[in-house]
Amino acid sequence: MKPSSRLAATLASMPRDTRDTLFLLGVIAWIVLPLAGHLPPWATATCLALLAWRGQLAWRGRPLPGRWVIGVLLALALGATLLTHRTILGRDAGVTLIVMLLGLKTLELHGRRDAMVVFFLGFFTLLSNFFFSQALPVAAAMLLALLGLLAALVNAHMPVGRPPLAQSLRMAGRMALLGAPIMAALFVLFPRMAPLWGLPSDLQSGRTGLSDDMRVGNIAQLALDDSVALRVRFLTPQGAPPAQHQLYFRGPVLGQFDGREWRAGDTIHLRAQAPDLALFETQGTPIAYEATLEPHQRPWLLVLDAARHAPELPEGTTARMSPDLQWVARRPLTSVLRYRAESYPQFRYGPRERGPALAPYTALPPGSNPRTRALAAELRADPRLAQGGTPALVDAALQRLRTGGYTYTLDPGVYGEHTADEFWFQRKEGFCEHIASAFAVLMRAMDVPARIVTGYQGGDLNAVDGYWTVRQSDAHAWAEVWIAGQGWVRVDPTGAVAPSRVGQLQRLRAPQGLFAGAMGTVISPGMAQQLRAVWEAVNNGWNQWVLNYTQGRQLDLLRALGVSTPDWQDLLRLLGALVCLAAGGGALWALWERHRTDPWVRLLDQARARLARAGLALPAHLPPRAMAARAQAQFGADGTPACAWLLRLEQARYAPLADASLAQLQRELRRLRWPRRRPASPP
Amino acid sequence: MPKNPLAALRRWWQTRLPATDTLALTQRNVYILPTGSGWMLALTLLVLLIASINFQLNLGYLLTFLLAGSAAAGMHICHATLRGTELRLLPPEPAFQGQAATLTVELHNARRSPRHGIALATWHEGGAPHWAWTDVPAQGAAQVHIAFKPPRRGLHALPLLTAQTLFPLGTFRAWAWWRPAAQVLVYPAPEVPAAPLPPGEPRAGQGHATRAGGAGEFDGVRAYRRGDPLKLVVWKKAAQAFATGGHALVSRDAQQSQGTDLWLDVDRAGLPDPEARIARVTAWVLQADRLGLRWGLRLPGGATIAPGEGAQHRRRCLEALALC
Repeated sequence: MKPSSRLAATLASMPRDTRDTLFLLGVIAWIVLPLAGHLPPWATATCLALLAWRGQLAWRGRPLPGRWVIGVLLALALGATLLTHRTILGRDAGVTLIVMLLGLKTLELHGRRDAMVVFFLGFFTLLSNFFFSQALPVAAAMLLALLGLLAALVNAHMPVGRPPLAQSLRMAGRMALLGAPIMAALFVLFPRMAPLWGLPSDLQSGRTGLSDDMRVGNIAQLALDDSVALRVRFLTPQGAPPAQHQLYFRGPVLGQFDGREWRAGDTIHLRAQAPDLALFETQGTPIAYEATLEPHQRPWLLVLDAARHAPELPEGTTARMSPDLQWVARRPLTSVLRYRAESYPQFRYGPRERGPALAPYTALPPGSNPRTRALAAELRADPRLAQGGTPALVDAALQRLRTGGYTYTLDPGVYGEHTADEFWFQRKEGFCEHIASAFAVLMRAMDVPARIVTGYQGGDLNAVDGYWTVRQSDAHAWAEVWIAGQGWVRVDPTGAVAPSRVGQLQRLRAPQGLFAGAMGTVISPGMAQQLRAVWEAVNNGWNQWVLNYTQGRQLDLLRALGVSTPDWQDLLRLLGALVCLAAGGGALWALWERHRTDPWVRLLDQARARLARAGLALPAHLPPRAMAARAQAQFGADGTPACAWLLRLEQARYAPLADASLAQLQRELRRLRWPRRRPASPP
Repeated sequence: MPKNPLAALRRWWQTRLPATDTLALTQRNVYILPTGSGWMLALTLLVLLIASINFQLNLGYLLTFLLAGSAAAGMHICHATLRGTELRLLPPEPAFQGQAATLTVELHNARRSPRHGIALATWHEGGAPHWAWTDVPAQGAAQVHIAFKPPRRGLHALPLLTAQTLFPLGTFRAWAWWRPAAQVLVYPAPEVPAAPLPPGEPRAGQGHATRAGGAGEFDGVRAYRRGDPLKLVVWKKAAQAFATGGHALVSRDAQQSQGTDLWLDVDRAGLPDPEARIARVTAWVLQADRLGLRWGLRLPGGATIAPGEGAQHRRRCLEALALC
């Protein structure tokens, strides 16, 4: 016996209650499983164990545990949640709690009411999946889950017999299909508004991508991550991207160094300050673009160096510029965000004169990196360099990187205490983070103000939809050096070590994962690239049209519909109009249905009316055969065609034949020779 | 002024319903309102919407609106489950007072898809109805049996019936009221335990009857005694007894059955309460019929039913007792 047919046989032999319970448990497991990566491990394990226990009870037909067991379990779950999250409020604690409640409630399915509670908890859990990801695969999985829940609900309302689950699934699918237009109308027209109240603060946990600090090895992990960080559509002619060497997307600026770690730390209090725009000069024409940023749970936006004006953000989001030219939103970005921005590739920023504000940028922890300090002293003592000032020192350092046998690698190993020393003199290899850090330390040791800027560099064009795609593997760190009279100037020391890392499409390839490696042997690299491009284009379409459907887009739609100055009340009005239209349509349909008569009866009525015109008034209850008999008696031979027609009409009612379809009878009725009017003969 | 204006309104509405034995459910007589679960779903949707707004989840909006759309579609499907069904009441069988009478309703479905989870019940003010659930196959019919307890003997109008469905989501309840035109005849409740049958009366022109032997024996028959000739055994009764699992044989008492008639007289049933007398006579009728005897009935007020036997006679007697 095939396993599938064995499964079908097992399902068919199961009592209905058992089958229904197992189906519902399966749907719940399907909803909870994608949460496994975001829940505390104990919560996932407990929930799955509860589901398995419940399934076991259903399978064996055992009674459910008593209320006190569930009470104790509930108290334990509450306690564990409190211990893990230190609160039972907030998003993460809420999700943990709801998953626990859902698992426990399955043990308490006594009546219809309990079942309904499980369904509604299921809907909440479904939604909580979207806190963590709104990607296309998650959406597809949750659509299946919703259909599963609806099918279980339908099944619960078929109390008779043992209806097959496929029937419930079909009904659920039908409801979802019928509901889809309503969903579309509401989704398009329901006014998008800002959050009604502040978000819980635990949103910043579970961050990925760039961070506020930089430790050796941190960005190496990112370099292995091929997921998309942001997508950009350049609003240039033909959407052509600027030159690669201009594609620096500015992220957190790290100005504080403790020997191991670069931090934005000290500059945090500066963030409240507005940047001095008098010190921000731009030249040339700006590049306009539209960026779609994947949620990274951090507040910063990524813009091309350097945007003077605030990016155009959707309603309810605002952003400020920090004193180090970083654009920061007021809240962490938890969902895909799209914004328009303009950046000037040619700009100057920072104080022109050296002042106390620059002091933090030359600070080095005492005693660290002695060999680098010695190198710095040596370079400063060089009379040729002393003449050239800071630019000459920078050039000297870059020259050393170019010619000193330094290499770019993604696998530099663990660095010790004096990271700059190790890089400059021992290992001579590393990736952008090591190189930038060592460079900045050297600069600082020469009393040149320097800092690290993190962000993304480069990207590639998706040939399918023409979007410029920047991945996590494009994460980059470079340096900024202060030069008198010019302000902060970007220096990318990685470019000196590995020119291919900057300025060209060729990137250092991260070692392939097991899966990608296996795929590589089956699908040619070109094919794989093509597949990935299509998938990313689909995903991008999803982001653009579903996840990024904002109030701005809603108002654009209204404008396209001819409303000159739309606002959100117009959306409500349009929604109201649609509801009225639907209700009116429904009323018309009901009216039409009430007046709809059987076409056969209508034909009979017409025939009766013709006979009445010929002088034979017949009561409405007479069947066609009796009518034919009366007509024959009244009109004799004149009535024969009408009689024959009536008998065929009768036949059409009881045994429809090919030559007696209603449409044909209708045609014949029009052509039929009806008897002349004749005075009624005495009976 | 009635205590509950809503109940009064409902009563007034129900008395306005035309009495009919077939009811076609249409847009005009099917009502629909959200159930408790429906309100719970509405609350769920509200919370989902607020979560979507607060966390700015466009996918959350999609989920919320898809669920709302499905519930709206569910509302139409719920209403359509009842709408278009035709209910036909089969003529009700007479029942005994105190026992449940069964109404049989046929549900006809002309459309090409089945109708699921339709329930019928009798409707009482305040009491929870006992629903009888059924599915109606596509272009077919299903039967539902509804039990109800008639309050008194006699000819009664049927109670108000109601049909409902919660299909598909249980968030809406569609229902219809139905006042059947048919009446049900309720026989009196037989006395329990049944008193022994009265002695036979001599037929006109013959001598006095002798009293039957022991209690539990009746005129004309007695329990089988060993040695009774086979032709005296009441085989008809024996066959009935065997069929129901018993094994008692009954013999004709040739001496006693001659010259006497068994008259069941309500006025001489030996009880003070008129209803109790009727109950006792009813029990006698059933007993006499079970034993295959001939009997006549005398009703209060002088009406009589001449001695006879068989199902038809039994039915005539019970009807007379129900209506007297």
